[in-house]
Parts: sequence; structure tokens; C-alpha cells
Amino acid sequence: MHALDALGSPVRRQILKKLNKAPLSVGDLAEKFPVSRPAISRHLRVLEDAGLVESRGEGNRSLYSVRIQGFAPVREFLDEFWDVALARLEELSKR
Amino acid sequence: MIRKTVLLHCDPVRAFGLFTERAGEWWPLDRRHTGDRESEIRILATGRFFERARDGREVELGRVRVWEPPGRLVLDFYPGTDADHPTEVTVGFAAEGEKTRVTIEHRPTEASAELFTQRNALFEASWDLVLRAFAEAALHNR
Repeated sequence: MHALDALGSPVRRQILKKLNKAPLSVGDLAEKFPVSRPAISRHLRVLEDAGLVESRGEGNRSLYSVRIQGFAPVREFLDEFWDVALARLEELSKR
Repeated sequence: MIRKTVLLHCDPVRAFGLFTERAGEWWPLDRRHTGDRESEIRILATGRFFERARDGREVELGRVRVWEPPGRLVLDFYPGTDADHPTEVTVGFAAEGEKTRVTIEHRPTEASAELFTQRNALFEASWDLVLRAFAEAALHNR
């Protein structure tokens, strides 16, 4: 799903605002919203697939946080992508 | 359109090989869709263009439209958008003395034309969200 579609849901926008303050687990988020844990998990999966949040394992739970570069407009995202990619490609060609 | 060039320290045959066979080594580390910074990125003559994490998970990154080694490659490209709104990348490889000039031309397709430009109301809405979030974070961290 594209970032734009992912942002279309009010619950997902609220989740992003919470995650922007501090990384949270599914359980932490479920306490803050009147929706079930499975529903929170589904929203997080949509946000993660759209590149807007990322998760990392901490102990036996996953902590979710906002992925700022996921919000860049497409053109800017791709422009930066090639700056980094071509610099790395040039380095690779020297080896 | 985005246009970028770089001069590689090798001939076009090796340049084409580095671009396609060793994409995992030049693809930006923070743009891995599987989240695995050591994932493999494969651009194949068969048409597949995908990422594979070390745990075996695969994500399609696009499709190979034109495979003409060692001079030209055209890709449908999903990162930044998605498979329903692909952008298109043309990669040219041209000898310059002992080196190779690689030229990237990255354009929107009809499906991604609106997404490509920044004058999209929804993007502005998302920027709004980010700016507000930053402002809140700044207050929070003070």
C-alpha cells in the first residue's frame, strides 16, 4: 500500500502521532486506543508496508517507531536514492 | 524527470555487471524494503527485479523492461511508490576512454505522474503531519 493510502485512516494518523513521541509496542498502543490488539497490529502492518513506521525487536516484543524518510515526496525520495546509490556504485567500481 | 550521471572506473561490460549482479552492494542501506541491511538485490535478464532478505523473505522492487547489455537497461521501479504506480528508470552505459559514463533517467509513468510531483494535496497533508510531529518532539525533548 502506498503511504498516501496508509495515511487515509484517522486511527493510523493517531498511531503515527503517538509513535513520533516515543517508540511503542502493540500492547502500549492498544492501551491508548479503543481498538483491539489485532486491529492495532493490522494498522501497524499497513504503516510498515507503506514505509512509514519501522519495528525492532526488544526482548520478546517489537517496538514500533516513525520512519521519517517514509514521508518524503516521491521525487525527493528518488532523487536522494540515486545520489547515495551512484556514489556507492562509483566506490564499487574502484575495487 | 530526475537525471544523474556518474563515471565508473571500469568498462561498460563490468559496469553493467556491477549494476545488475551486485545491486545489493550499491543499493542504499536505509532503503531496504525487507528491513535487512544485508539483503540481496537482484536485477535479472529474466525480468525479475527483487530484494531477498537473509531469512528468505522477498519483495518485488519492479520489473526489467529492457535488458540490452552492456549499453542499456530499463526498469519499472516500485520503491517510493508501489506496483500499481510504478516509475520508470532508464540506465545508459557509455564508454568514455577507459571509463564508463552511467546515466540514470528516472521518470514518472502515467500511473505515477501525479504522485511524482510535490504539488499533491495529500503529500502536503503528510508534510503537515511531519512538521507538527517535529514541533511536538522538540517540545517533548526540551
